[in-house]
Amino acid sequence: MKDILRISVPLTVWLAAFSAVYGLEGLVCSHRWAEAGLSLAAGRGILLAAWALAVALQTMLLLVLRSPRFASPSGFARSVSLTLAGVALVATAWTLLPVAATSLCL
Amino acid sequence: MNALRRHRALTRIWASDPGWKGWFTTVNHTDLGRMFLFVAVFFFVIGGILAMLIRAQLATPRSAFVGPDIYNQIFTMHGTIMMFLFAIPLFEGLAVYLLPKILGTRDLAFPRLTAYGFWCYVFGGSLLIVSLLAGIAPDSGWFMYPPLSSRIASPGINTDFWLLGITFVEISAICASVEITVTVLRYRAPGMSLPRMPIFAWYALVTAVMILTGFPPLILGSILLELERAFGMPFFQVEHGGDSLLWQHLFWLFGHPEVYIIFLPAAGVVSMILPVMARTTLLGYGWIVAAAVTLGVLSFGLWVHHMFTTGIPHMGLAFFSAASTLVAVPTGVQIFAWIGTIWKGSPQLKLPMMWILAFFATFVIGGLTGVMVAVVPFDWQVHDTHFIVAHLHYVLVGGFVFPMLAALYYWMPHATGRKRFFKLGETAFWLISIGFHVTFLAVHWVGLLGQRRRIHTYDEGQGWEVINLVASVGGFVTAVGFALVIVDVALNAAVAIRGSRDPWQAGTLEWAMPTPPPAYNFASLPLIESRNPLYDDPDLPVCLVRGEGYLGDPSRGRRETLTLEVASGKPAYVVIFPTNTALPILMAFVTGGIFVGMLLKLYWLVPLAALGVAAIVVRWVWSLGSKRDEGPLEVGRGLTLPLASEAADPPGWWGSLFLLLANATLFGSLLFGYAFLWTVAPNWPPPNYLEPGLVGPALVLGGTALSMAGIRLARWKLRCGGGPWLGLLLSVVGAVGTGMAAGTLLLRTSFDAHAYSATIWVIGGYVLFHAGLVGGMITFLTLRAAAGYVAGRRVGEARIVQLWIDYTAAVALLGLGVAWLPGVLT
Repeated sequence: MKDILRISVPLTVWLAAFSAVYGLEGLVCSHRWAEAGLSLAAGRGILLAAWALAVALQTMLLLVLRSPRFASPSGFARSVSLTLAGVALVATAWTLLPVAATSLCL
Repeated sequence: MNALRRHRALTRIWASDPGWKGWFTTVNHTDLGRMFLFVAVFFFVIGGILAMLIRAQLATPRSAFVGPDIYNQIFTMHGTIMMFLFAIPLFEGLAVYLLPKILGTRDLAFPRLTAYGFWCYVFGGSLLIVSLLAGIAPDSGWFMYPPLSSRIASPGINTDFWLLGITFVEISAICASVEITVTVLRYRAPGMSLPRMPIFAWYALVTAVMILTGFPPLILGSILLELERAFGMPFFQVEHGGDSLLWQHLFWLFGHPEVYIIFLPAAGVVSMILPVMARTTLLGYGWIVAAAVTLGVLSFGLWVHHMFTTGIPHMGLAFFSAASTLVAVPTGVQIFAWIGTIWKGSPQLKLPMMWILAFFATFVIGGLTGVMVAVVPFDWQVHDTHFIVAHLHYVLVGGFVFPMLAALYYWMPHATGRKRFFKLGETAFWLISIGFHVTFLAVHWVGLLGQRRRIHTYDEGQGWEVINLVASVGGFVTAVGFALVIVDVALNAAVAIRGSRDPWQAGTLEWAMPTPPPAYNFASLPLIESRNPLYDDPDLPVCLVRGEGYLGDPSRGRRETLTLEVASGKPAYVVIFPTNTALPILMAFVTGGIFVGMLLKLYWLVPLAALGVAAIVVRWVWSLGSKRDEGPLEVGRGLTLPLASEAADPPGWWGSLFLLLANATLFGSLLFGYAFLWTVAPNWPPPNYLEPGLVGPALVLGGTALSMAGIRLARWKLRCGGGPWLGLLLSVVGAVGTGMAAGTLLLRTSFDAHAYSATIWVIGGYVLFHAGLVGGMITFLTLRAAAGYVAGRRVGEARIVQLWIDYTAAVALLGLGVAWLPGVLT
């Protein structure tokens, strides 16, 4: 079961981060954000921080899955889990890139 | 014991009841798989006839063939049948039939659950077909978007048929997915570690987990919309704090993964058949596994690309546009691995291979138009046009139906034991391939020219007439092709000559048994040392028939198989399966009472049917287990193993774990809906928020702590050989406290005043239901302990109940916490 976890965790973390950042963007663009006295610039900053945090988390996962302590003893599970950790890192960087590249609430 | 005697003894143990009774009492996966496949094809024929009616209507401008009301029912039912009653059940049928055979085991993990799922599918699907025959079928499109599907715009019973019928059918999908997940993880031939699993098993595992996490949002959406229609709880009504966009989010949270739920099993089929047709082994097995997992997870990050025209801010659109383009990468990895497999082998152009080549061409075109519509500006131009209709047909027919036709012709000799003699299949191949492309290339074209989908007719002079006529002619050619396939299969299954055991010289385990397969699959279970055991040892089938594998001695007279450790494939336990029973069909029938009661507004029937289901569940579960410890059993090849019922993690614990995964997704979707409305619904805040007070929080904190501590105390006492009574009493008191805390929510809000209070009611109801459920489970466990079923080494049932108690505690704390949070903050 640990091998199944090693294989499934990185992309699950991507999905959680992706959903959270999308939800955060919805909150920043809602009337509640303005009602709380917060600016859109602050919203952009928080989104960028969330993106950086997600990338850092995925990088850490990749390193953890490479480490002798947490790597799978099975060669197959080790290579698949590392591949998927790499995929999750790229997916996080690419799919959340819009926080830096597009207009916020238009 | 010689092979013939072993065969007779095993057949006596494993066979379904003889005659017509066997259809209703069978729990055998081979029989149920065939029944699933047959019923799915039956629904496909109905969906196909509806497709022809659509094409007949659109063949000419100003057609008077059917009016708009009937046309709305036809296209809604065509989509609904093809997606819910054909595609998913066909996968379920294929997996139910095939998985135990390719995994080298004797049946699926929960045979009675398979049967229950099948009958829910039959009864739920029949509800929808009855509505079609009565002229009151759903008519709001297969997306069922409110406000079109709300009570105001659709006051008739049509929408209710969809919401209730589909939810009934989805019970089947959830059952099958729990079944498939536990089977792939635990029920394999000894030695079959994860890297030795046949590739289809990986795809089935990913697909099953996707169903467990993809279907609950739609089940929740259907429940909410039905509650709105039946009782006026305004989740989707803007004037009362709801938002119709919430439905779109919940629907597409299901709907987009659904596309991959349909495609991935087909990709699994291609990965199984292609290497055999190319006389080689699969190239890039590990890469394909990684690609399947990637596709499965990425598909959950794409749902908003169905909502690009709903006014979502650009950044939100860009997230989903980026994810949608990314998903092409793992798809491409699979395509290149398949091309590489063909390259390294010596492909033979037999009929399954021809269908795979048709799949390649069609699916790649569908994938490319998919990348086009993933680009937001292009999607804005073609949204809701026939271009989208053509794209989704290229993906779904090319990506699912064509591989399934390859599967049909590949495994037909296995299911029938006959060699294909009549060659109508080749003619059908050309008719379908050409007819399909003629139809949907034309539909792409007319969509680019601006023809909207879901319009029952169009005027002359728009340049669409000839294109539509060509599309309709192509459609009828395709239909003739499908009819020929059915005739071909029926003829070959009925009268073709006997075939050999392994006609394709494949290496996987389904070809290591006699064909058609016996009820027990394998006379003894093999020891697996590679991914293609028949290539390593061509004599393996003979060895298995001689009883040289595991569990080759049927003298105990029980339906026995083995479970494994998940990763290593090391044998772990002996499982005893239940025998034939009518309980599944009976329970599905009584379950139908809940849905029919809601549909016909006979609300007295709903609790009555629910009580009936509970009574049958008690009867069902009571028959499991034993009143004495049996200790380790001899399983062959010098190995002894304990019974699963004497293990800490019996199969029921694993089934509960994955059922709770689906349950947690439903609860998460409910919290998402609450947060969504709180964030963006225009008529928020509500007139007043619920304040927690002191009693509710005290009850939930005390109740959850007591129930969690109680069940642990009970387990500890059982381990020490004592009585679990005090612990169980504390647990049930805790469950009552949790239920009372949830009850305070219901008592202090009005369910139809505002979307906020309606949501609070659903959260409270959800927690109350679970508190009642675990209360019932603890009572049941107490009776089992008193009867001697739970004692000594047999404490797995207590661990299952603990899992449910812990889950209930978590959702109670979280659910009631978020219900009270706005009241605390304001």
